[in-house]
Amino acid sequence: MRSPEPRRISAAPFAPLLAKELREVLGGRALWIMLLLICPLVGYSFFQALSLYGESSVAARQSAVLAVSLSPFDGILVPTFGAFYVAVTLLFPFVAIRALSHEKESGSLRLLIQLPYRAVTVMLAKALAVMCAWLLASLPVVSAVVIWMMLGGHIAPAETLTLVAGHALYGLLVGAIALFSAAITESAASAAIVTLALTIGSWALDLTIAGRPGLFEWIARLSLTQTLKSFEQGLFSAGLVFGMTLVAASLLALAGIWLQPGDRIQTKLLRSLACSVTTVAALAAAALITFTRDMTEDRRNSFPLADERLLPTLTAPLEIIVHLAPEDPRYVDLQRNVLAKLERAMPQLTIRIAVEARPDADAASYGSIEYRYGTRSDVSRSTSPREILPIIYGLAGVQLPAPVPSTDYPGYPLVANIDLALVWFLGALPLLIIGAWLWHRRPPSFAFVTVRKGEQA
Amino acid sequence: MDGISPASLRSGIAARPSAAIIEVSGLSKRYGEQVAIADICFVASAGQILGIIGPNGAGKTTLLETLVGLLPADSGAVCLDGQDVSPSRRRQSMFYVPDEVRPYQDQFVGQVLMFFGAVYRRPPAGIAQIIATLELQPVLGKRVHALSKGYRRRLLLALGLLAPHPILLMDEPFDGFDLRQTRQMAPLLRREADNGRALLLSIHQLPHAERICDRFILLAAGRNCGSGTLDELRDRTGLPQANLEEVFLALT
Repeated sequence: MRSPEPRRISAAPFAPLLAKELREVLGGRALWIMLLLICPLVGYSFFQALSLYGESSVAARQSAVLAVSLSPFDGILVPTFGAFYVAVTLLFPFVAIRALSHEKESGSLRLLIQLPYRAVTVMLAKALAVMCAWLLASLPVVSAVVIWMMLGGHIAPAETLTLVAGHALYGLLVGAIALFSAAITESAASAAIVTLALTIGSWALDLTIAGRPGLFEWIARLSLTQTLKSFEQGLFSAGLVFGMTLVAASLLALAGIWLQPGDRIQTKLLRSLACSVTTVAALAAAALITFTRDMTEDRRNSFPLADERLLPTLTAPLEIIVHLAPEDPRYVDLQRNVLAKLERAMPQLTIRIAVEARPDADAASYGSIEYRYGTRSDVSRSTSPREILPIIYGLAGVQLPAPVPSTDYPGYPLVANIDLALVWFLGALPLLIIGAWLWHRRPPSFAFVTVRKGEQA
Repeated sequence: MDGISPASLRSGIAARPSAAIIEVSGLSKRYGEQVAIADICFVASAGQILGIIGPNGAGKTTLLETLVGLLPADSGAVCLDGQDVSPSRRRQSMFYVPDEVRPYQDQFVGQVLMFFGAVYRRPPAGIAQIIATLELQPVLGKRVHALSKGYRRRLLLALGLLAPHPILLMDEPFDGFDLRQTRQMAPLLRREADNGRALLLSIHQLPHAERICDRFILLAAGRNCGSGTLDELRDRTGLPQANLEEVFLALT
């Protein structure tokens, strides 16, 4: 045997690293066990959704008015993806953690970090492999969508893709948290504790304090679960997408910083601080991105088309002062039906909640909503857009817009035979997964790297 | 390969160029209050095999990991080709094969070798030759966790040979080998050195070290108790016929 001349190494191709990371993720039992557990979880949720949707559809078939309220997005997709969300929150961290902790525990990491890759490249390869695992894990939920379509169910591509994008970003966030946890801890068990504390912790946070006013509301906004809600309403928010991607990238960068065993702890802390400050500054910039698009087929997050065209032309600042407490149901109605839509439609809008607004306040002004446009102002107690929009148009001195002819949302009632879903999720799909697992475990052929005795140098 | 004498293995050393490829000065590392290595200084040249000798706990592994930058040193400098190089850049010139590592234990041996070969852009024929030389063909289709200690050691050695760095550091490269296997591997390492690499081997089995190494650093409790060729160490002890074991006991 003759070795090549010794040489210094400064760079290496990315493809072998990515292939190695994919083999590491696919080679572990964690992924396959998660896939098997997701089958009944998603299957039961899909079955329940189909069942309830079918019951509602029986009455809706007789009435066009009832049919309008039957949206497959709310009735089938959101609950089915909801089960997938539970799996990603509880099970996916174990798959992602393994992508790094396994190497740490076996000592392979000491070989890996000597290879001519930058730490950020290593973390990128691991993140891509983890997202491939997420793609595999999403197969049961994708199959649910396919079954729904095979049963004759309607799918609106734009709102469906928005929901998928939201779950993909949530998976990326959970994966990045898991990789960061694995980088800063010594064992997979410790990494799991850190990750689950963040994922389940933020879930609990969302359940317990969401909807409460003041500091609680601000804390609840930090919950990971909150990030999904916008997508589950069919809203595509560029700022949210940018922010989630940014946080995930920052966590991966932090993991890269803590991956280097040769750096002093002070060096790591300083770099982490710099990374965190940069991320916070970028997140502040992301908050300024206001581009939001209503992707739902029934345009539930938007005013009628004529209003949506007219409102952006009102260029003077509009100030709305709400004399309602945030926990008041009337404020919730106002927020959902008017304020959220106005924020997306009007360029210069300021919304303030009056300081004295408390449900137990005796003040006569409690419950009123004040509108100020330019030098004019008006007060109303209504939370309905049908009454509020004319007030705004009146203040702006414009005529009410003529209705724009558009296709009304028809609703998609469907009563389907749901036995097929149970057979697929509890029988066929798990068997296919076990088959794929066994197929993947077979040794590949290495004939091309063997030499005959006579060929040896 | 059996029967090759230490003298024949070391033949031709004098004819090799002796420019220092690595120069270490004042390297120290502590774990809290415990001194792991203290003020280590040595020089190694291309074509040389340097044995880092010492009992368990002497600081051999810490020295290697500090050299390659896997552990931060408290003080000291590592110069490569005459230039002080930061720990992160040392990995461009050095590759360290640790002890007690199961590299990617759920993957097949062939996949691990192909991965390292692809990273260093080795042609399949080059990888095949290393596999053949280390007689790894029977285990290519086995997962790493299923390997015996001897085969695992061969795999680690193969990874070291696939890495083309001018300086190769190996922690206990003969641990897990029987005498026959050790005598098979020794000429292989010698050929690597002949090809222009500097090999730094941490060895606690002194007969193996005496058989293969050109120069020695004797470590005890993290301190350098002596360094040089066996003859130079014999001169220091005044024991002209002593073997490495006797020299080591005399100096530590």
